[in-house]
Amino acid sequence: MRLNPLFYPESVAVIGASNTPDKVGFNCLESIVYGGFRGKIYPVHPRYDEILGLDVYPDIIEIDDDIDLAIIALNQYSTAEIVDSCAEKGVRAIISIAGGFREVGEEGRELEKKLVERARAHGIPLLGPNTLGIINTDHDFYATFYPMRLKKGNISVISQSGGVGLSIIYKMMDEGAGINKWVGVGNRAILDFSDILRYLARDDGTDVIAIFMEGTERVRDFLNAVREAVPRKPVVVYKIGRSKKVEFPALTHTGSSVGDQRTYEGAFRQYGVIQAGSVRELVAKSKALALCQAPEGRRLAIFTISAGPSLTVLDALGNLCEIPEFSQSTLERIRERMGDNPPLVIKNPLDVAAFGFLPDDFKFFLSAVLSDPGVDMVLAITIQHKNWRFPTPEIIEVARSHSKPLIICYPAENDVVKPEMERLQMNGIPCYSTPEDSVWGLSALLELERIRKRMDKS
Amino acid sequence: MSGKRVLNEYESKRLLERYGIKTVRERVVEDLDQAMEFISENGYPAVLKVLSEKITHKSDVGGVITGINSNEELNEAFSSMKEKFPGEKFLIQEMCSGVEVIIGGKLDQAFGHVVMFGLGGIFTEVLKDYSVRICPVTPDDADEMIREIKGYRILEGYRNIPPANVEEIREILLKICTVMERENVVELDLNPVMVEKEAKVVDALIILGESS
Repeated sequence: MRLNPLFYPESVAVIGASNTPDKVGFNCLESIVYGGFRGKIYPVHPRYDEILGLDVYPDIIEIDDDIDLAIIALNQYSTAEIVDSCAEKGVRAIISIAGGFREVGEEGRELEKKLVERARAHGIPLLGPNTLGIINTDHDFYATFYPMRLKKGNISVISQSGGVGLSIIYKMMDEGAGINKWVGVGNRAILDFSDILRYLARDDGTDVIAIFMEGTERVRDFLNAVREAVPRKPVVVYKIGRSKKVEFPALTHTGSSVGDQRTYEGAFRQYGVIQAGSVRELVAKSKALALCQAPEGRRLAIFTISAGPSLTVLDALGNLCEIPEFSQSTLERIRERMGDNPPLVIKNPLDVAAFGFLPDDFKFFLSAVLSDPGVDMVLAITIQHKNWRFPTPEIIEVARSHSKPLIICYPAENDVVKPEMERLQMNGIPCYSTPEDSVWGLSALLELERIRKRMDKS
Repeated sequence: MSGKRVLNEYESKRLLERYGIKTVRERVVEDLDQAMEFISENGYPAVLKVLSEKITHKSDVGGVITGINSNEELNEAFSSMKEKFPGEKFLIQEMCSGVEVIIGGKLDQAFGHVVMFGLGGIFTEVLKDYSVRICPVTPDDADEMIREIKGYRILEGYRNIPPANVEEIREILLKICTVMERENVVELDLNPVMVEKEAKVVDALIILGESS
């Protein structure tokens, strides 16, 4: 595939690698080294001999090896110049980091035109310019200038902005959600959303595609790529542009017109995009989609030890789902466990209060609710307590014998909830620490169900 | 507007009819006798409008008189119109009841043809309660467009307002996409479309692009 050298290079040249941590060029190199890349790394700089223990080459031409990918960490003027040398060297893909192109005005537009013409003339796919770069955890390849190592997973991210893209990464880590690939598309001079989306749609390691978008002129092509991707894997998009105030700043950021938001939203619905309105929502939705299949239908059961959180969930979901009554046998199982005249109403949402504080009891009720034939998906809620531990192993055990989507909400402190989250999610059960995040998870699955049903019809 | 062609209300509706979109019964008339002839065939109530290439916002300049219910009223309406717009032609129409909706479309630079749906009056223009899709739309898309506006409840029937036939709205939305693509439309405004048992286009303005 044409983009394989970008995602799975065997040899990488970092042009403009420098020797102090203050510089972008140094961090481009350190990112690759720190990430644990097992291919060959060739720093290129005219004045240094060695950086991070690696031999430095004065010119890419002088590297005595084939180069799959060149990362250009030079200023905008030198970037356009160096593309010819990359082509001469036989480089198969380029990442162009620097800004100062189309987004800054006429002079930059000319520079970008030159850059594009040269890369196109040589037939080299180019990512950027004005991008943070690319990450492929599946290849231990971190080609950005923010050195990091990430939890691996099955969500891949495309971001027009480096900053928002990083925000998505860090939020995903907080949510215990693993990343497969991350791509900053920047100015999209050659490779646009649609190209990356088509690659990820066919990528075995990617099960969910999460996108942050300011805007693209090639929106029809993007929508066609979405249409191709959606039967294989869900596509979640956070698109800005509600306020007219972002129009000009977006142009000076990545040279993009945000376009008419209402038309974007309408088209997204038509093409089966799951929409998000914030980084948090994008991450919460992607996480549920990465772990669960679409439910068979829209009937949700909520089981909780405190009524309030279930009310916030009902309030937020509105008409997105149905809240069915439990079957007679489910009701009887629940009543039997509670004994005569329990001081609460047995219904859906099921609030069992003190009857469910301890793990074994929680397990019993969860199992009863999940087994109800009139229920397609379940949200279960229990809250951090000093003396009562979370029923994580019990939940995992119950979930093992059911294929219905199950989402867990553990209102708790970050430090307390994180290990529980990790354990549940390792077993395919998404876990959130607030009711609102849980709603995003549920609504993503309900949206997926709607999209799949519509696809089946046509 | 070089190269673009603006169709007047009458021409716009004839174009729509060619694609099977229902429009209000109407006739171009120059004098009262012709108007009376229309009435003898269609009866009252009727609407009288000025039909001019120069006037695009007819109602802003008093170019629309609705609720004409008798020969005297028609006579009066015709005289005042003649006085206000000397030398112009007029359009006499049947008057439809129902819920007013707006169906619009345009050629967007990035998206290509786009179709819009909303309720008439303040709902679309002031409250921005409308839905948008890109062409072509499927029957499912059209259904979602109709149901996602907040004003949908009004189409379902409300107090003394009878329910509107949303299937007919859906048909127009589907056909409009074909009209826009085949006729190279750059802008289209069906405003209002009256919907009760049937959906009929009452007023329309279509602008065609250069090559058609």
